[in-house]
Amino acid sequence: MADQSSIFRGRSEPRGIRVWDPLVRIVHWGIALSVLLNGSVNDPDGVVHERIGYAVLGLVVLRLIWGFIGPSTARFSAFPPNPVAALRHLKAILRGDTTVHLSHNPLGALMAYNLWLTLLVICVTGIMMGTIRFFGADWVEELHEAAFDWLMISLVLHVGGVFLDQWRTGVRLVRAMVTGYKNVDRNGPLK
Amino acid sequence: MIGWNTANPRLGEREARRAALMALMIVVQALCAVFFIGDVLLDATEGSADSRWHLAFETVAAIVLCIGTLYFMVELRRLWVRMAQVNAGLRAARGEMFQVIDAFFASWGLTPAERDVALLILKGLDNESIAQIRGTAAGTVRAQSAAIYAKANVDGRAQLLSLFMEELLAGDSGDSDPSEQFKPSVAARSAR
Repeated sequence: MADQSSIFRGRSEPRGIRVWDPLVRIVHWGIALSVLLNGSVNDPDGVVHERIGYAVLGLVVLRLIWGFIGPSTARFSAFPPNPVAALRHLKAILRGDTTVHLSHNPLGALMAYNLWLTLLVICVTGIMMGTIRFFGADWVEELHEAAFDWLMISLVLHVGGVFLDQWRTGVRLVRAMVTGYKNVDRNGPLK
Repeated sequence: MIGWNTANPRLGEREARRAALMALMIVVQALCAVFFIGDVLLDATEGSADSRWHLAFETVAAIVLCIGTLYFMVELRRLWVRMAQVNAGLRAARGEMFQVIDAFFASWGLTPAERDVALLILKGLDNESIAQIRGTAAGTVRAQSAAIYAKANVDGRAQLLSLFMEELLAGDSGDSDPSEQFKPSVAARSAR
């Protein structure tokens, strides 16, 4: 019968479930591009570096507000910062459990909060470096750079985690962040 | 395999585009707000040549911009939730239609090939197109559709369609076992 029902299934079905709204996607790739530009390409003392930094601050704040008023998968309540749940998720991975999470999985959630927090630290220290009061204060600049180093480490873990999960569950996460759709079996184990 | 929903694969695309545009607007507005607020704060803390009125005006403008952005965000959330609801409704309707049609086909005892042909007939294709899609001869399709009409006890494609129209319009036959009441001797023909 499964074969029969596939005759009737619409073309939209294989695309899976729509999970990421356009705001989440734009903010994600906007931040990614900005970090790339500010981290490697432009002059750290230049105006462009500063402007892009402000833009990142705007994007992160926007995303944080969206975490309270956005749709269900974008909201913090869908992926609360919970280290215990993250540990449980890690054990489930080792057990071979391939339950698919519609929003972030508990480990990915921790990474998301980590990235936002790190970005905020970078933005705030960056702004402080430009103010008269903190001008020339070494600890501000050191914190700015240390936070950036931590961001790079996090980024490697983030990308690694995404591809690990993609390989593990078969859900194409990168594509989901582009199109908004997770290729998920509606009848499989979902969370 | 033959898709049921080829007529409207783009359903909801327009709304998705609207949502994307809205999100882009929100991001642009939010960035403007950040630069605006940054400017206001810098003027206020570091002091500048601007007058008090200028500062007050800028502050009000920044607040209004923030409120506007928030309003857009709430609207985008509404649009997004509505899109999900419509999607779920369509899926449910499609699923039920499938069950109804499948129950009909089962009660007539159609073979798998005949089911495919019957489905394509329901979708409004003529015999030549069906033959093309299925890669068979037009004569085969004619024989198959004749068999379908005979099993369904109707005299042609119009009557076959009317059976399902009847089902859609009736509205009160939801709960009981479909294969019992869908015997093709009912309302559609007696009403003529």
